[in-house]
Amino acid sequence: MPDLSHLLLAVLQALLLLAAAPLVSGMSRVVRAKMHTRHGPGLLQDYRDLFKLMQRQDVRPPSAGPVFRTMPIIMMACMLVIATGTPILTRFSPISACGDLITTIYLFALARFFFALSGIDSGSSFAGIGASRELTMGVLVEPVMMLALFMAALLAGSTDLGAIGAAVASGRVHSLTAVIVAGLAFAFAVYIELGKLPYDMAEAEQELQEGPLTEYSGPSLALLKWSLSLKQVVVIAWFVGVFLPFGSSLDLSVGGVLLGLVAFAVKLVLIFLAVGIVENSVSRTRFRLTPQHSWLGVGIASLSFVFYLVGL
Amino acid sequence: MTMIPLVSLHDPLHLLLLSLAISVCGGVASLLLRACDGAAIRVAGLAGIAAAVAGLGASLPALSGPALVFEAAGPYPFAHFVLRLDPLAALLIAVISLLSLVAWIYSLAYVREYAGKGVGAMGFFMNLFIASMVLVVAADNAFWFIIFFEMMSLTSYFLVIFDQDEEAVSAGFLYFLVAHAGSVLIMAAFFIMANYAGSYDFAAFRTASVPAPLNSVVFLLGFLGFGAKAGMIPLHIWLPRAHPAAPSHASALMSGVMIKIGVFGIVKVGIDLLGASGGVLWWGLLVLVFGAVSSVLGVVYALVEHDIKKLLAYHSVENIGIILLGVGVGMIGIGIGQPILAVLGLMAGLYHLVNHAIFKGLLFLGAGSVIYRLHTKDMEKMGGLARTMPWTAFSFLIGALAISAIPPLNGFVSEWYTYQSLFAAAFSGSWLVKLATPIAAMLLALTGALAVMCFVKAYGVIFSGPSRHAHPDDVREVPATMVIGMVILAIACVVLGLAAPVVAPVISGIAAATLGAATITVADGVLLIPADAHQAVLSTPLIAVMLIGAAVLPLLLKSALSGSLRLPARQAAAPWAAGYLPDAHMSATAGGFAQPIRMFFGPLYEVRKSIAAVWSKVTFGFERFISFARRSEPCWDRALVDPVGEGVVASGRRLQAIQGGDFRVYCLYIVAALVILLVLTVR
Repeated sequence: MPDLSHLLLAVLQALLLLAAAPLVSGMSRVVRAKMHTRHGPGLLQDYRDLFKLMQRQDVRPPSAGPVFRTMPIIMMACMLVIATGTPILTRFSPISACGDLITTIYLFALARFFFALSGIDSGSSFAGIGASRELTMGVLVEPVMMLALFMAALLAGSTDLGAIGAAVASGRVHSLTAVIVAGLAFAFAVYIELGKLPYDMAEAEQELQEGPLTEYSGPSLALLKWSLSLKQVVVIAWFVGVFLPFGSSLDLSVGGVLLGLVAFAVKLVLIFLAVGIVENSVSRTRFRLTPQHSWLGVGIASLSFVFYLVGL
Repeated sequence: MTMIPLVSLHDPLHLLLLSLAISVCGGVASLLLRACDGAAIRVAGLAGIAAAVAGLGASLPALSGPALVFEAAGPYPFAHFVLRLDPLAALLIAVISLLSLVAWIYSLAYVREYAGKGVGAMGFFMNLFIASMVLVVAADNAFWFIIFFEMMSLTSYFLVIFDQDEEAVSAGFLYFLVAHAGSVLIMAAFFIMANYAGSYDFAAFRTASVPAPLNSVVFLLGFLGFGAKAGMIPLHIWLPRAHPAAPSHASALMSGVMIKIGVFGIVKVGIDLLGASGGVLWWGLLVLVFGAVSSVLGVVYALVEHDIKKLLAYHSVENIGIILLGVGVGMIGIGIGQPILAVLGLMAGLYHLVNHAIFKGLLFLGAGSVIYRLHTKDMEKMGGLARTMPWTAFSFLIGALAISAIPPLNGFVSEWYTYQSLFAAAFSGSWLVKLATPIAAMLLALTGALAVMCFVKAYGVIFSGPSRHAHPDDVREVPATMVIGMVILAIACVVLGLAAPVVAPVISGIAAATLGAATITVADGVLLIPADAHQAVLSTPLIAVMLIGAAVLPLLLKSALSGSLRLPARQAAAPWAAGYLPDAHMSATAGGFAQPIRMFFGPLYEVRKSIAAVWSKVTFGFERFISFARRSEPCWDRALVDPVGEGVVASGRRLQAIQGGDFRVYCLYIVAALVILLVLTVR
């Protein structure tokens, strides 16, 4: 069982991510505007959007049931729980009982389950197609994530995210090449999971009216948008915690944790800048062709597996 | 031990015999009362409930061992009637009893649907089916094992063909064929073992050592025979046809429990009976490979089904695959001499066995409830039932979450242990195991993602969105006994997930007792541990508490940020449909939802076609063989019997010529005879 200080750290980092999520998505909008050479909204625009939506009325389609109503809450709760288990500010996971790689993948599946189900529950055809695509992307991405993380876990001797991160940071792995290649495969899977172009399939704004979000409005839409930007931050934190844990604190000292916070913020901004540049310089992949891309991910992960087997 | 006349309720064996006796009496009474449907349903149901309670009472204390043995003289010297209640058998009996308890409660209302179609016979076959399953698990003699195994196949065959329509009868025929092909293989395996053991008692099998090439033959025969019963690919073909054909409470038992007897058989032959002959590494790898293939293909095929019961039946194939992954790791552990790995793997398999029985039972009962009201199995004609059938919908949702391995429910716990056992196995010396286990883990992840998709589709298309049913207003919630049955299993799904720190040590104790190995640490306080705390820890109760705690935050945010001016929620007239008039058929459908998978996994569906082609050839060949036998049967008459008969008649007719009735001719015969005799003697 985690003690009180670990619990506090867990709550702190989950709340920090929640507070920072609209800032990070706002940054993406700024990057996009800069690349379009337009003025664009300010960095804090997403906070203003959320606040405005919270004041509006909730309008629900006639067939919407309890799943539709509770999904934004489940989604946010799920992302917060994942955030408590991920090693973000520290090298170890604050609550290791939910910081296992398998648990994390399946907690994402919990969010995915309700996200897609709400799409069907709304009765909208756009939301239904978005739901189907969301789950299909899960089918294509989860095996890559599992194999890549499994490789890193094998090299570290533990499936605990913190333990893997610690092993990667110390270089105490018997095959560095395998870890790097597994990191590449995982980065690719994480990029797809972000739902950004060219893999913006489920919430395709121009194509499907934002998929499962189509019928949401008012406070529910605000919570959902917030949760989705939180999800992007959590997914990146997951990647950083396992494969780029450099700079995070080794203990619970205040100075160390603050330093870890700074290091994490820098990494987060750099990664989101890179992601922003990629997403604004490519066009959408045709949905039919996504398996070819995910096979690439399987290929990289399998390469890591080969390196692991031969011990390079 | 001789039979003690007094039944003691503290003795698990007595309770077990009592449970069997109640089952048989209930079945016979139900058959006798067949003229009066209501009475037959109640008698069969109440007897079944009593038998199930006695079965639970017998098995739960026996879970922790030691093995209890009941012996009685058999009709032949080789057929010793021995029942053995060891921890593994007790686990299976507990699962059978729990599922049958729920199925019987459910049946009290559900079977009225079948009134006038022979519910007395249904109660008879159900009761005997459950009793024979208990007996198969407990039997400790090869002769009786085969007898009860056949009885189980036969009684379930009659439940499959209960509807008497063409589909049910042809599905039943295929089932009959595969079940008996399987039992022939099992018999062959037992004969070989009996040769070395010198007895048909399993107790002798356990100590007999079968020499090297032959022990693998025994294992392969047992694996294929029981694998056909378990429904692993490619021997699964009967399962998606036979299970949907049976009444839903019988489907729940067949899919929930009966196919587990196949897995039980594989464990029994591969680990228990062949224990003295030594485990071989490739046996475990074989089980692992079959498990991985079954899990992926099972769920891929389930995804494109429109028939809710067929979809669930294919998921049974998938879950048998997941159970076999755990069992495979257990056998790999034996093969490389690592008892900790063996216990961990077998425990993962057994945990998933229990969990699958519960959530698959729940889902079949849920499907039965929907069919009870709508009279169709086609998901395209459902939709929006959560509004009119809230209890059924909620129970089905719990089952759907559990089977999709969503934390913190029970399916997740056992899959987590399966992953951890695969992970632990990857550190073993053999490079084949090193190669196989990460691939198996990846395939399990693929299976998990596909299962999520499949159950979002199943729940969504049946219970969510607009109604596509012809008379949506006629649909009501099902009667109370059916709801109670489903809710019990839904609670069990939650309890087996949240109480995993209590349940896991019991199951790992059973795995250790089956393997004859030392117990391992699988829980510490509220933490779950895969033998080694450095490898990973998990706490489902903690995750549940945290999820609930974290859900408070968005609610607080909503009320804090929305201010006092916000209007209450309003219902829109219709979902937005790009300016067109929205229609119920525009929303997600079963076919459209799974279309991407059908497109991306096209080659796997081609594989199914070729497997199905082989099986239809087998059935066709068998039917041709029967018709040939029917045509060739008169040949024997014409070739052998007829000429003899005709010859006798013809010679009789010729003989009549000498028997003319004239007294003088008879005197002539006598004189002629005397002369011939005289000549012969004098000469």
